[in-house]
Amino acid sequence: MEPASKRRKGAACDPDSWTPYPVLSDEQMHAVELVDVFAAPVLDKRATSRLIGELNNRYPLTGLQHVKRVRSTKAEEGRPHSLEILLCPVSKVPNSDLGSLSIGCDGLGKPFVVKIPVRPALTRPQFELASKHWPTSFHEDKQVTDALRGESFSPAQKAQMHTYMSVALSAAQEGKALRLEAVGAVVVDPISERIVAVGHDCRGRHPLYHAVMVCIDLVAQGQGGGHYRLDTYPACRSIPTSVSELAQKPYICTGYDLYVTREPCVMCAMALVHSRIGRVFYGSTFADGALGTKYKIHTLRNLNHHFEVYKGVM
Amino acid sequence: LREVAMTAEEKFKAVFSPTDEEVAKWMDCAFEMAKEALNNGEVPVGCLLVYKDKVVGKGRNEVNETKNATRHAEMVALDQLLDWCRLGNQDARSVCEQTVLYVTVEPCIMCAACVCFFLDRAADIPLVAYGCGNERFGGCGSVLDVSSAELTRTGNSYKCVMGHRANEAVEMLKTFYKQENPNGHVWMSPQRKRRWLKKRKHTLVRFQNEHRRIGDVTFWKSETTAPVKMNNTFLFF
Ligand SMILES: [Zn+2]
Ligand SMILES: [Zn+2]
Repeated sequence: MEPASKRRKGAACDPDSWTPYPVLSDEQMHAVELVDVFAAPVLDKRATSRLIGELNNRYPLTGLQHVKRVRSTKAEEGRPHSLEILLCPVSKVPNSDLGSLSIGCDGLGKPFVVKIPVRPALTRPQFELASKHWPTSFHEDKQVTDALRGESFSPAQKAQMHTYMSVALSAAQEGKALRLEAVGAVVVDPISERIVAVGHDCRGRHPLYHAVMVCIDLVAQGQGGGHYRLDTYPACRSIPTSVSELAQKPYICTGYDLYVTREPCVMCAMALVHSRIGRVFYGSTFADGALGTKYKIHTLRNLNHHFEVYKGVM
Repeated sequence: LREVAMTAEEKFKAVFSPTDEEVAKWMDCAFEMAKEALNNGEVPVGCLLVYKDKVVGKGRNEVNETKNATRHAEMVALDQLLDWCRLGNQDARSVCEQTVLYVTVEPCIMCAACVCFFLDRAADIPLVAYGCGNERFGGCGSVLDVSSAELTRTGNSYKCVMGHRANEAVEMLKTFYKQENPNGHVWMSPQRKRRWLKKRKHTLVRFQNEHRRIGDVTFWKSETTAPVKMNNTFLFF
């Protein structure tokens, strides 16, 4: 991706020129994996519920609860629509041989092999692909669907995001002017729409003062804490949190959004988990980045806090 | 001691490795620190940076007083190492190359990562010794293995040895979290979580995604049990 600073000069400040794209977990992005299963036509539709009962007893679809046991096929020329029922996975049958498959149910036609999705669909695209093979159930997360379509944010919200990212970019440029790495970050309270902290890379002072780490400490400083000495970097600043706001705040960065020009590294990504950040928006990706490229720290199940991440902002 | 991770390749610089006795000795020191912290009602994690038989960094968790959730014992100790080098006019790079990090609990992903690239890609702390694993946050293998990861742009790998007095480290953490959670986190059962969320429905409207509002809450399997001990590993926060 082009450096954000370069792109900025071109179609400057046009919120329509970019779309934030969600960084989802690997499971959500997986291609649909399929498994071979024996199925058979239901000869007499009135026997369907009996067959479902018998087959559920004999061959429960363990681990495949997301697929429907029965599907109806489209009516074709000279043939009315009919029902087909799943028998059991091919792997459960000795030698995968149809001959040794003794179903022992009456009212079934000649068995055949179908491919069905192994895992439940987590996103609409997965669901649509899976459904081409066999009907499955799907609990839609509307937010994820919108995000994947690039429809999470209204034009007004995008304009707002644009403003915040511009502040991060100018912080990055101030850092660059000091011969520091050109990375800038902004912490925003989305409820009050207030910028809480602005920071840039300060590795001239300390090897671990990455822009995100600086911002986290600036938020702490705004809440009466903090540890970093950043007096020589005037572009790094925090706006104190009022006492009444502080009283409502459960934990340091809870509910705050972070805008950062480049994807955070492992240390910074985990620091955001520890700080309980709300959402993260970043511009360009980074080879060792930990919010999508090398790792997806925000989706690790073991961790006690997870957050949404969007890339390609500006 | 059991080796859990090996460097991908031996460092091109002279590899130094402390003897088992040395490791045991400094780990015992770290445990003393952890005990002291526990007695003072602080997170019982002890952390030392040792260079040529000298302590050059000593850290305790400073999250509460700084309101900065990244002020873990390891980060504090690394700051001290830098100060020590500055005061003694030592080259931090060559000091780091021969420094061992001793810590009673497996470093979290953040701390494990910053050991990889503390100063430079080529010159950094080559060995981390720790007591018990950290199933919640551990960055040396429990959740992620940053220690042996090849981070092309930012870091190099290092070696880890674990297991020294692991049970004791777990017990101390258990005792601490049984006493009280220092950051006002709430431990909730799924039932209580559901009730809790229901009550706060109005605060969720804006966000839909519940993480936004309940990020400050930790959920345990059961309301009454303290954090669970598993295979010498402590589950926290
Ligand atoms: Zn970083
Ligand atoms: Zn840590």
